[in-house]
Amino acid sequence: MPQPDTVWFTTMLTVTELSKNYGDFVAVDRISFSAGEGGIYGLLGPNGAGKSTTINCIAGLLKPTSGHASVAGHDVVAEGKAARGKLGVVPQELALYEDLPAVENLRYWGKAYGLGGKALDDRVAEVLETIGLGDRAKDLPKTFSGGMKRRLNFGCGIVHKPPVILLDEPTVGVDPQSRARIFDLVEAERDAGACVLYTTHYMEEAERLCDSLAIIDHGKLIAQGTVAELRAKLGARDVLQLTGHFPLEPTKQAISALVERVNTDLEFLSQEEDSVTLSLSQASQHLPAIFEAVANTGGRVTETSLRSPNLETLFLLLTGKELRE
Amino acid sequence: MSFALSSFHKDVARWRQDWMATLIWVAIPLMLGSLITILMGSGVTPSGKLLLVDEDQTFFSELIVGAYSAGELGEFITVEKTTYEDGLARVNEGEASGLLVIPAGFAAAFIESEPVTLTLRTNPSQTILPGIIQNVTEILLDAGFYAQQLFSDEIETLTSLTDDPTDAQVAAIAVAIQNKIETVAPRLFPPVIDVVIVEPPEESPGPPIALLYMPGVILMAVVFAANGLAADFWKERELGTLRRLVFAPALPAEFLVGKALAAAVIIAIVAGLTLFLGFLYHGIGWAHFPVSLLWLVVSGVALFAWFSALQMLFSNQKTAGVVSTLVVFPLLMAGGSFFPLAVMPSWIASIGRASPNGFMADRLATEITSIGVGAIDLQSWLIVLAGLVSGLLFCAWRLRSGFARA
Repeated sequence: MPQPDTVWFTTMLTVTELSKNYGDFVAVDRISFSAGEGGIYGLLGPNGAGKSTTINCIAGLLKPTSGHASVAGHDVVAEGKAARGKLGVVPQELALYEDLPAVENLRYWGKAYGLGGKALDDRVAEVLETIGLGDRAKDLPKTFSGGMKRRLNFGCGIVHKPPVILLDEPTVGVDPQSRARIFDLVEAERDAGACVLYTTHYMEEAERLCDSLAIIDHGKLIAQGTVAELRAKLGARDVLQLTGHFPLEPTKQAISALVERVNTDLEFLSQEEDSVTLSLSQASQHLPAIFEAVANTGGRVTETSLRSPNLETLFLLLTGKELRE
Repeated sequence: MSFALSSFHKDVARWRQDWMATLIWVAIPLMLGSLITILMGSGVTPSGKLLLVDEDQTFFSELIVGAYSAGELGEFITVEKTTYEDGLARVNEGEASGLLVIPAGFAAAFIESEPVTLTLRTNPSQTILPGIIQNVTEILLDAGFYAQQLFSDEIETLTSLTDDPTDAQVAAIAVAIQNKIETVAPRLFPPVIDVVIVEPPEESPGPPIALLYMPGVILMAVVFAANGLAADFWKERELGTLRRLVFAPALPAEFLVGKALAAAVIIAIVAGLTLFLGFLYHGIGWAHFPVSLLWLVVSGVALFAWFSALQMLFSNQKTAGVVSTLVVFPLLMAGGSFFPLAVMPSWIASIGRASPNGFMADRLATEITSIGVGAIDLQSWLIVLAGLVSGLLFCAWRLRSGFARA
């Protein structure tokens, strides 16, 4: 797998041929990537693709079956404590003391990372302002809204000002307003020089936030690069998804004949009896010809979806399935 | 060590939000202790009521009535004359211990040495008092029989007299009775058979039963607190904070030390409160208080450590909760919280003393009932400390070996 063309000033996170097996099941299969300071590296993939397992291996929660990961030059297995000290983890699920005031949550986790004294006090005050909870510092999280809890969860992960931050789907179940606030927080950390590893299954999040990203499916890294590089893989091709009834072999032959007749770059992404997914340039111009070809085989189109190139269609192109499946 | 203090502050702050739990840990044993004290420590003497139907209305029937009210018997048996119907109804309703019917013609039959039947109905819901009444009645009848045999001539003379006997006749009967008594007196007073009663050496009075309950009741509060505090490991796991702890460079050992210190403070509050009330009620010397409290705190943290280890053995919170409850109540039963070790049969008591809380309650009893302060031996302190340390080490191993990561 080629490495992305992004040039990091200083590489802070390196993952090399990392695998994690559970018996015969391969959750993560020899993935490699690196990320540097002042950037956001995305791991994009559907649920169960292996994103969280990768994060947990880097964070020291799971021991890799093979391969290596290092944080700020410290191997996460051999120098676990040093590596963990450089990491800030924002887990997918909330990890807060609901019956401890927000400020005490931040102080507690700051202490867990070795902060103390005035440095801790100053940093806690700074984080409270950053996450917008300065006026609710002494309130219990159990009285907070879901978005406020998410922000506090984020704050607990960055209170020790880590050079590398792992964010595991931090916007799951978050309202749009809080999501935008979390994006701002992530970008602020990036701007402050942190190296951020951001996992998500939302294509639009990856496109907005990530300088560089990897697409992961079934534990394998299937593409990586900057967002621009990955878009270039698609070219200008649209993704056309037809729903209805499609006799398998006749449909395939009819579409193939169409490709020769009109000389398009059409490519089959997937074909089932009830759906066909195609990739082609300027798809809207070819729609009448495609509908005619389908009708000639005895097939029937009940629904048509035409999407312009983006990361989601790239995922479809690479895996033949939707990102959210 | 700094993080251990932070962990300690965190848990104390969280438990301040949940003070109701602490109150319940204290309230339940105190309620039980109060009930036991009321039941065992009030000094109330049981008493019974004998309903008597005197259909004879003679001097001899009056003697029987009087016999039940005489001496110590009268302290716990009250005799009330009534009619047969009323007496029968009241005994059947459980209002009296017994109903004795003296039939008409009792005196005549007694004098003539003819058979006569006295009817005694007892209350089936009572056992001890009806038994006493039955025994007393049989003794009275035996005494009457021997008196009748001894003084039969005098009784016959008495009954043959006219309604207005002369002084000389009365004096003659009295002299005859006196002569017979003087004849038999040397055999009766003192008896020919000399019984020497060997009394057991005087023992120092045993402690009141409510005091015997006190160590078990206090240990009940400590066991409740330790078990409740141990459940917090599952709560932390559900909150996700244990996973977050694994991400951090802080050591699980520091986290555990903080938790154990917080447990010590909360157990000190629970044990201190119950102990204070126990000392106050029983008038135990306050010099024993610090040692007793320290013993309870160290013991409580050891129990907390092992309850925590037990909780962390299971794969889900529900199973852990059910199993720990199944362990707690037999422990309380065996360890003297419901029945003091001092009143258990010796073989059961020896099992109870081998249970962790029974061991702790036994040593606490030693301390509060001894004259000198510091009666708990060094070996006992070392055993409890070893339990505390080994329990915490087991917890640390479970945290590292997967409990925190799940």
